[in-house]
Amino acid sequence: MVKKYTSMAYAKADDMLFGNSKFPVKAGLGLEIGAGYTTPELNYAPRPQAGKSKDKLVKEYERITTDAMARMVQIGAPSIVLETEHVEQMSNNPDWGGAVAHAQKTIMEEYHDEYGIKCALRHTIGDIREDRDYLQLRGDKYSTFMAAFEECAKNGADLLSVESMGGKEVFDYSILRNDTAGILFGIGVLGSMDMEMIWKDIAAIAKKTGTVCAGDTDCAQANTAMFIAGGLLDKNLAHTTAIVARAISAARSLCAYEAGAVGPGKDCGYENTIVKSIAGVPIAQEGKTSTCAHSDLMGNLTMQCCDLWSNESVEYHGEFGGTTVQCWSETLAYDCSMMNVALKTGKAKDLRDILVLSDKFRDPQGYVLAYDNAYKVGQAIAKDGNNNYLRAKNAAIECCKIVEEGVNSGKLRLTRFETSALAKVKADLVALTDDADKFMSDNLTKFKQEVAVFRPANYGL
Amino acid sequence: MLDLKLEDIDGILVRYNVALEKEMTPDEAAEELYPKDELIYPIAKAIYEGEEDDVVDALQAAIDAGKKPIDLIDDALMVGMGVVTKLYDDGIIFLPNVMMSADAMLNGIEYCKSKTTEVPEAKGKVVCHVAEGDVHDIGKNIVAALLRAAGYEVIDLGRDVPVDEVIAAVTKEKPIMLTGTALMTTTMYAFKEINDKLLEKGIKIPFACGGGAVNQDFVSQYDLGVYGEEAADAPKIADAIVAGTTDIAALREEFHKH
Repeated sequence: MVKKYTSMAYAKADDMLFGNSKFPVKAGLGLEIGAGYTTPELNYAPRPQAGKSKDKLVKEYERITTDAMARMVQIGAPSIVLETEHVEQMSNNPDWGGAVAHAQKTIMEEYHDEYGIKCALRHTIGDIREDRDYLQLRGDKYSTFMAAFEECAKNGADLLSVESMGGKEVFDYSILRNDTAGILFGIGVLGSMDMEMIWKDIAAIAKKTGTVCAGDTDCAQANTAMFIAGGLLDKNLAHTTAIVARAISAARSLCAYEAGAVGPGKDCGYENTIVKSIAGVPIAQEGKTSTCAHSDLMGNLTMQCCDLWSNESVEYHGEFGGTTVQCWSETLAYDCSMMNVALKTGKAKDLRDILVLSDKFRDPQGYVLAYDNAYKVGQAIAKDGNNNYLRAKNAAIECCKIVEEGVNSGKLRLTRFETSALAKVKADLVALTDDADKFMSDNLTKFKQEVAVFRPANYGL
Repeated sequence: MLDLKLEDIDGILVRYNVALEKEMTPDEAAEELYPKDELIYPIAKAIYEGEEDDVVDALQAAIDAGKKPIDLIDDALMVGMGVVTKLYDDGIIFLPNVMMSADAMLNGIEYCKSKTTEVPEAKGKVVCHVAEGDVHDIGKNIVAALLRAAGYEVIDLGRDVPVDEVIAAVTKEKPIMLTGTALMTTTMYAFKEINDKLLEKGIKIPFACGGGAVNQDFVSQYDLGVYGEEAADAPKIADAIVAGTTDIAALREEFHKH
């Protein structure tokens, strides 16, 4: 049994701040994350044709790494984390991932030795546990999946992460049909079960290899909801529904830390402020600096409690100001410099609040994720921390309550559509049982019938 | 913590979605669009509401009153779905409503087919797939649902589809259009291979591509590529092809927005 969080890491929301976590993490070459300063975390994707062979891929990552490290030195940045999110070839062939990690770390060591720049390498393994038609979470690919972690860890990766996919088959079906119980079942129950399994194993690999068991993100589900929801004028999903999915995802992403992860959580986990409030782990975040990858409605707000500040992902190619990894790492580094000055001059809480207020009323998603409200969602999760289902349901209900309070204050304005979607989600949630076993049984029956690709055996059911 | 006064918020941001919201509710807007025929009206309304059982009940009532099942597909189910897609295109209803209506419509088509030996005729056939190496298929699922909702027959090859399997399906099915979606930069390269192999075989059909990492510049690099920025572009591209615009350059002119 993993130990579940039933209390908050921070006594009050105001204690949460960028560059500071309750439990800082030492990693890589002289770096300490969440120990009083922020660090840029650069993320990149190889050009399409680079995946044709192992040699081409390694060369591409060598160019990326050299470009980024050189730019950091050129502008005087004191620290950098590089995050390599695996393309499928690197995780399906663990030796490819290992070779890339080795090549990157060799270059980073050279820069560290010569200039003293603090740095670490995160490898985010692709969740390859599926075949053409079904998720295969516990099948033949599991050993390859774990081998990919180990191979990277042995060859230079300092931080181990993944964007795991448990529950996605039920979630994808449910989010397109406004099925609240299905969203809760996919993320809060099935997702959490899978997280508990994989993160125990990843933690064991990190322990064996002396690396950092970093953390996960609910990219596969909560970000899918956020992306489908889109901008203010998009008509694909109510933003009030998307933020409920996000609140649920915090209960799910917390499972990594309960199983042995220590942070930093992954950049695209917009639920990370909630997670940090409970677990006190350092977190990576992305916002205005990830416009190269996608748009969101909280570009400044997400910086509020970050320890690593990321650009999510950018394809490697040339721009006027250098290659993309040079341009974006430079942008990240200047943002971090600003935050670090605020920390040194005693202005950090003011800066945090300015960042929050610039987006807090832009959209219900930012409103709930603002650190004061995120903390309340954290409390709702910790209240029933021992029960994956109940804590996820609590998070969803608290989220609805927070949005309603925002509307009642007059500051958060919703469309009629968002209002009615919120009312529907809330009514659905209130009608749900408090009995986790009954919820499991009801939804197993339902989704076995409705979702052809749902296989309970993936969850040991 | 610091806070903003209520009157200061408008100077920081504008909730354009609230400011510009249509006066009419979705239900009122739908009511104006339903056909007036008393047998067709309940079918169209049940489609809009996404109520599968109500669709079947209303279809049976129409059949009992003498309507031919095969005619009800075009005259009732597709008309009801037309109401839904118009409201979606006008920004009055959201995607989940369309998905639930599409489910109800497909269920209704199956019911009609079970009541007749006649075979319904689709507007055209489209082959859909997710690129080889890529398992992210929610975008493709939305594309397929919207195409079916618009009256197209969809051959859904699924996700992580090998290039040669796509070529074989196109050769066999002879669709009016192929769609491809991908989330990652390294998997979308398969689109170029598909393009080259189709051209080798002398097949020149529009290849509509979109998804996470896919962008207009990339799709423009191969001869058959037409970039779809949103899933909702897929039925519009198909409609343009059915209406006679099969030239890739003309389709790009119409659908490439950047």
